[in-house]
Amino acid sequence: MKLLTTTILATGLLAGAVQAEDLRMSWWGGDARHAQTQEALAVCGEKHGHAVAAEFTGWAGHQERITTQIAGRTEADIMQINWPWLPLFSPDGTGFADLRDHADTIDLSQWTDEQLAGGEMNGVLNGLPVAETGPVYFFNKTVFDAANLPLPSTWDEVRAAAGKLGDGVMPFEAQGLNAIFLVSTTVTQMTGKDLIDPETTTVAWTPEELAAGIRFYLSLVEDGTIRSWQQVASEGNIELFEMRPWAEGRIAGTYEWDSAYAKYADPLGDQELVPVPMLQVEGAVNDGTYRKPSMLFAISARSQHPKAAAQIIDCLLNDPDAIDILSDSRGIPASRTAAERLTAEGLIDANVVAAHDLVQQGQGPVPSPLSEHPKVRGIFGDYLEAVAYDQIGPDDAAAEMIDEIDRALRSFR
Amino acid sequence: MESPRIGLLYLAPYLIGLLVFTAIPFVGSLYLSFTDYNLIQSPSWSGLDNFRELLNDRTFMRSLRVTLLYVFITVPLKLAFALFIAVILNYRLRAIGFFRTAYYVPSILGGSVAIAVLWRYIFADAGLVNMVLSGIGLEPLNWFGDPVNALFTISLLRTWQFGSAMVIFLAALQAVDKSLYEAAAIDGANKWHSFVHITLPLITPVIFFNLIMQMVQAFQEFNGPYIITGGGPLKSTYLLPLYIYDEAFKNFNMGYASAMAWALFVIIMALTVIAFWSSRKWVYYAGDKRS
Repeated sequence: MKLLTTTILATGLLAGAVQAEDLRMSWWGGDARHAQTQEALAVCGEKHGHAVAAEFTGWAGHQERITTQIAGRTEADIMQINWPWLPLFSPDGTGFADLRDHADTIDLSQWTDEQLAGGEMNGVLNGLPVAETGPVYFFNKTVFDAANLPLPSTWDEVRAAAGKLGDGVMPFEAQGLNAIFLVSTTVTQMTGKDLIDPETTTVAWTPEELAAGIRFYLSLVEDGTIRSWQQVASEGNIELFEMRPWAEGRIAGTYEWDSAYAKYADPLGDQELVPVPMLQVEGAVNDGTYRKPSMLFAISARSQHPKAAAQIIDCLLNDPDAIDILSDSRGIPASRTAAERLTAEGLIDANVVAAHDLVQQGQGPVPSPLSEHPKVRGIFGDYLEAVAYDQIGPDDAAAEMIDEIDRALRSFR
Repeated sequence: MESPRIGLLYLAPYLIGLLVFTAIPFVGSLYLSFTDYNLIQSPSWSGLDNFRELLNDRTFMRSLRVTLLYVFITVPLKLAFALFIAVILNYRLRAIGFFRTAYYVPSILGGSVAIAVLWRYIFADAGLVNMVLSGIGLEPLNWFGDPVNALFTISLLRTWQFGSAMVIFLAALQAVDKSLYEAAAIDGANKWHSFVHITLPLITPVIFFNLIMQMVQAFQEFNGPYIITGGGPLKSTYLLPLYIYDEAFKNFNMGYASAMAWALFVIIMALTVIAFWSSRKWVYYAGDKRS
């Protein structure tokens, strides 16, 4: 009996007084991230004696899935949350668990105060930044090498590559979300301002400034640097990395999140995808870098096992074995210990490091999470598409777009 | 156990399902349509605001226009095609069982995500259809990038799922009294005359049934346009169910989305009532004095 009691007590102490729990974790990503996260969850689950069920999808539809789950109170214990979703799901900081309540379990000292502030709502630490991210220009080096062209460092060089890369090979691609990125970065470079003024929660750009950004996009289509919106749409509702022209090297560049490197590089096989310094428009006042916390790990406010969930989060982000497995699947980790370990061991793809450095060193205004609000993105995308289909001119589109976005932002003032 | 209790027991799974998955959400959405509800905070009563907003919502009007166009294209096409195939399969051909099964399969698979993805690849720029067009010397078409073609492409997917309507037509065709055809043949009627003057009038109740069912289903189409075109280009395939979904789960406007769902319900009801009213003039039932 004594032996049994001792064994039970010892087991309890070894497990940190948290019993074995069944947990769920949800995230979005590509195949590489899915495989690595499942492997890391198995390792962390075993270390802490918990079983963690994996729920993963692609990016498309993930927000709707999380929304439905939260509304139906069926969300996973641990969730990968996009930074702009914080004000939507947790406007007053009560939408997710306060991770500072688990400071004895999660080693928060691995993040700077500024990094932690990015995961706060109303002073409550709702999410731990997994990485910082920003869009970077990536080019297919193999395609440029084959054409004996250097990787472009200016827009003029990108334009000049059109027609020289091979039959039917386009130097760049921007449609849908990427077109929004491109126009936004262009206007930010021209004006030094983010789309939304944080003081007034209104659009910071004038119609003339936005129209100039739209014209820049149109000029890339006109001179054959990028495919027209119509041509890209001919592939159907599909992302660039899933398209055959991308995998076959017939599209040689894009503007994407540094953390999404693997998603775009993997389909290329032996071809090499590399980041280049921010391409700038003439007269740029800064390089327009859009730097923000990327995804956050959060614990459901309704989780029955928050302590166990905190153990898993700490393990995923700070445990050496999990760090090695997850590597750069979500970009360069924000956790100091993870970043140092991966860098020291050379476990991070050199191109991911280079892309991350470009984002960290870049200059641009602090973006508002509302820039990525679905309504704002929807209005921006709809008007760009209408311009691309010649339904409206850039000047009218810019004026109407600003009006509509300002109306959509009213409820956030 | 007494027989009424056994009956209720057998009915219970269906009744519980009807209550939990249909009746309660149905009433719940009616309540939500009069509220401002962002899914995170509790709903707040807003009266008729959501319905007033609908009248001034350009996206709603455009989406409604596209939905009506989609319904008016797909329903007649699908019914005509289903009837055409049913007539062929009504002949005593070799391996007729195989053909009947083969033609029914698309209606089982057609609404699935996998088939929508397949459809996207078939009609993509470098897809099968354009390869065939190029092979026979025709210019490839931009199926998804052109607003007119895009709507046609997703309409074609629904038309392709003609199996269930076809099976119902086939059953109706087989129920037509053969002696009527023999009498018509003796009077000198050819196949076409027999079809127009005997077959069609006698199967009008089934045509009417299929019309109502297909119309209701077409108004609720979601998978095809969501996966194949995402509602684009230029919202040319942005059917109302997609807009309802976006407002509810992307823009956190569950109250407004519920109002749209009820507007859609009223439209479907109105068209169904019109169809029932018109049926008095063209649907013939056995024993009907007009026939």
